[in-house]
Amino acid sequence: MVEILKIIGLALITTISVIILKQQKPEIAVIVGVAGSVLIFFYLVDMISDVFGLFETVVSKTNIDSELFIVLIKIIGIGYITEFSANICSDSGNSAIASKIILAGKLTIFLLSVPIIISLIELIVGLLQ
Amino acid sequence: MGVEIIFKIAIIGILIAIVSQVLKQVGKEEIATLTSLAGLIVVLVMIVDMISELFSTVGEMFYLF
Repeated sequence: MVEILKIIGLALITTISVIILKQQKPEIAVIVGVAGSVLIFFYLVDMISDVFGLFETVVSKTNIDSELFIVLIKIIGIGYITEFSANICSDSGNSAIASKIILAGKLTIFLLSVPIIISLIELIVGLLQ
Repeated sequence: MGVEIIFKIAIIGILIAIVSQVLKQVGKEEIATLTSLAGLIVVLVMIVDMISELFSTVGEMFYLF
C-alpha cells in the first residue's frame, strides 16, 4: 500500500521539477521526465516479479507448455518498453517519432507471435480432418 | 536509486541556467554556451547510465535477451 504513495509522490515531484525547468532548459526538463519514469519503473520491479510468479504457478497447474508463457511475457515486455519510449517522445513534442516507435513495437510483437498463430492453425486443421 | 537523482538533475539544470545568465551579463557569450553544454553532458551521462540499467533490468526480467 505504501508503494503506491511513494510512486505518486515521486511522480508529482518529477512533474513539478519538469515544469520548473521548462522555461530555462527544456532539454534538461525532458531528461528529468525520463529519469522520473525510470525511477517509477524500478519501484515497480518487485511487484511485476510477484505477478509473473503468480502467472507461473497458474501455467504450471494447467498443462500449457511454458513456451507460450515465455512468448507472452516477452510481448508484455516489448509492449511496456515501446509505450515507455513512445510516451517520452510524444511528451517532448515530436509525436512523429513516437508513432514510428509504436509501429516498430507492433511489428516486433507480431513477429514474436507468428509461431503461436501457426501452431494454432495447425491445431484447427488437425481437428477438422 | 531514489528521489535524490531527480533533485540532482534539476539542481544541475538550474545552476547551469544561472551561470550562463551571469556569464552573458559579464559579456562572455562563448563561455556561457560552453558551460551550458558541459552541464548538459553531465546530465546526459547520468541519464544514459540510468537508461542502460533500465534496459538490462527489463531485458532480464521479461526474458527479452
